[in-house]
Amino acid sequence: MADLQDELQAAGEAGELDTPPTTRTKRKPKPGHRPPVADPIASGDRAPAAERVAAGARASETERVASHARAPGTPMAEPMAGRAAGTESSAAEGTDPPLELAEAHAFLAAHPVADGYSGLPGVLRHLPWYDLELGEAGVDTDVPRMRKGHISALLWSLHLPEGLTGERAVGATLEQLDLVRTVVHAHPEGLRLAHSAGETTDARNCGRVAILLGPAGAPAIGDSLGILRALDALGLKALTLAGVSWAGEAGLTRFGEEVVREMNRVGVLADLSGASEPTVRRTIAVSRAPVLCTRSAAAALRPHPANLCDDLLAALGEAHGLCMVPLTSEQTGPSVRDVADHLEHVRAIAGPECVGLSGTYDSGAAHPQDLADASCYPRLIAELMDRGWSEDDLALLTWGNVQRVLRTADFAARAARDRREASTARIEELDG
Amino acid sequence: MTFLKEARELLREFPVADGHNDLPWALREQVRYDLDARDIATDQSAYLHTDLARLRAGGVGAQFWSVYVPSDAASRPGAVPATLEQIDCVRQLIDRYPAELRAAWTAADMEAARAEGRVASLMGAEGGHSIDNSLATLRALYALGVRYMTLTHNDNIAWADSATDDPAVGGLSAFGRAVVREMNREGMLVDLSHVAATTMRDALDASTAPVIFSHSSSRAVCDHPRNIPDDVLERLPANGGVAMVTFVPKFVLQAAVDWTAAADENMRAHGLHHLDTTPEAMGVHRAFEERNPRPVATVSTVADHLDHMREVAGIDHLGIGGDYDGTAFTPDGLGDVSSYPNLIAELLDRGWSRTDLAKLTWQNAVRALGAAEDVARDLQARTGPSNATLEQLDG
Repeated sequence: MADLQDELQAAGEAGELDTPPTTRTKRKPKPGHRPPVADPIASGDRAPAAERVAAGARASETERVASHARAPGTPMAEPMAGRAAGTESSAAEGTDPPLELAEAHAFLAAHPVADGYSGLPGVLRHLPWYDLELGEAGVDTDVPRMRKGHISALLWSLHLPEGLTGERAVGATLEQLDLVRTVVHAHPEGLRLAHSAGETTDARNCGRVAILLGPAGAPAIGDSLGILRALDALGLKALTLAGVSWAGEAGLTRFGEEVVREMNRVGVLADLSGASEPTVRRTIAVSRAPVLCTRSAAAALRPHPANLCDDLLAALGEAHGLCMVPLTSEQTGPSVRDVADHLEHVRAIAGPECVGLSGTYDSGAAHPQDLADASCYPRLIAELMDRGWSEDDLALLTWGNVQRVLRTADFAARAARDRREASTARIEELDG
Repeated sequence: MTFLKEARELLREFPVADGHNDLPWALREQVRYDLDARDIATDQSAYLHTDLARLRAGGVGAQFWSVYVPSDAASRPGAVPATLEQIDCVRQLIDRYPAELRAAWTAADMEAARAEGRVASLMGAEGGHSIDNSLATLRALYALGVRYMTLTHNDNIAWADSATDDPAVGGLSAFGRAVVREMNREGMLVDLSHVAATTMRDALDASTAPVIFSHSSSRAVCDHPRNIPDDVLERLPANGGVAMVTFVPKFVLQAAVDWTAAADENMRAHGLHHLDTTPEAMGVHRAFEERNPRPVATVSTVADHLDHMREVAGIDHLGIGGDYDGTAFTPDGLGDVSSYPNLIAELLDRGWSRTDLAKLTWQNAVRALGAAEDVARDLQARTGPSNATLEQLDG
């Protein structure tokens, strides 16, 4: 409960709660089983009417759950009670016992989600007005829903619309970066920019969602290591190695390998979702920092160009990389169970240290039923709990693995900077 | 030369904050940023106007490093990427020589660097083409450390006229004024070197923060479009801005201006472009130079400009912008970054007081940046960032 209380307090400080919650019971020893706790975050008084109804419903749920918390081990009275109270957007509440969902909330309060991909910047660009703090119907991701979904870190994609390549890609990426900085600046109570593992944890501890910049598409660096370093200075954290001459179907060129080494040196992660198989293999071999796949599921279960075959998943696992499974119908299938199947498959092949989550919200992709927006992670976690995932594995899945990758990349960068100077290699020299 | 000793002493307390140095471009052109090949911790006098030892000898305490990229039509599409590479070059220099250089983002950083005896390193973008008509890109440059932007280089851009191009906009367009406002909001100094006099006047009207001229001299002393007319200098006290005198002979010496015009005319008479550097063109140019010896500017030429600018703008609005490594020729006695003491000695000889000289070398520039920061804080409290576009404002 300590984590929950911190979160309640943070929410209270942030003006999220009208009155202090009545459920601040002392932490009790919990033999093996966490006390079930529902989403503690109620909306503020400025919320629109619909939000207020939901908030009321959640508040009563909190009280209900609190009564269980005082008697751990007591079986859930009747499943229908949860249905009556739970008027949240996650509709199919009846299909799972609410106990699981409450447990999922409690678990996520302690082990929030670090989400590998959000297309929000690309969508906000075209909205004339938005308020992510109050809630924004035009998108799948806003602060109230991220709090409901227990998202505490999120990569914001800087991918550009199709066709923006060459010299124009650099300027367009700067504009996208500026937009993210402006949006984060405008939502200081909810969001905070983070550029390292430490800053990510700090943001979470302050009750903010850590926003990491990236992945950007490889064209963003304009075939120049100097521009890569400038983007790093602006906060870029991940780059997708596809769509350029130096990371094409044939794999990395000599310049491409130099790009990876320079990314290691400055601490920008390689994102290999959508990269060609030779590029994936070569990057894994060259990179001294763990690589990411920000949007890849298991090709064995569902063929898709960005999904990874078992062979690659195993290679990724050996290299201690991270495969972040997207919650999209196209890549994982139309139901929560499909997503869970992919997660289990990736865990089996790559290992529990190498699997993560990627909401892929606001990217134009269709999402599985019950996983429609950023608030729905508890549904997925409940499903995995139902399948018997251990707390350790779940904690790695939601937060631990991303932290490990960020931290390792930070260390690798520090070591590399001691070892080598900034590279002045040019594509004309290396690739002819 | 007793004044030289006094000049050096004075510069130890109030070093030069120079408005414009093109070392990054020289490093790009000469060695593609291979900083081992031009290690400025060693003597680079064979290749460059600038190295660390000569900066120290020259009493330089702060340098706006220019992140210039060419503004001609062919270079335009690559201007933003090239500017980022130039910025990276300055950041690499700062990383590489931490004992001598210090990154400075604010006036307070400049003072801290002075206290530590390091050269405060700031950046200036030389021309609005570096933001490709995008206020978001302008903000990105600020975030990377760029603290002034010259509104144009030698060519007009869509929203501002250059001093060395044919009038088109007639000063600043509506979008140009929006750029100035956004620069005010960020705290980036508006630099009016290189721009047409009409643009200077429009920018002074639009800017709520002090402007600078990072490397320009007086048009009344030497009639060249790159210099500042008196009516503009007269507006600096009200604006709080700083005109940083430059040394480039073809801008400061009337005989050199005329000579350059004649040389260009000679090139055109031979059917060549005046900036052509092919062997054939260089041959034509050398032949001209043999017949017509190049006029030589001196320390005194530059001091004449400062005397006049001081009369018109006042002592609180003068600074120095040598344009080293951005010009092929330099005046006698001002050959590289080690020669600032010669200029200070000349001014001491002319009766400038120590108080005056402290303002010229250091205090005015620091004050202008600090004032721009104050304006930015104020504007940011009242307004959000603008995403106005050229199409919206200029149709």
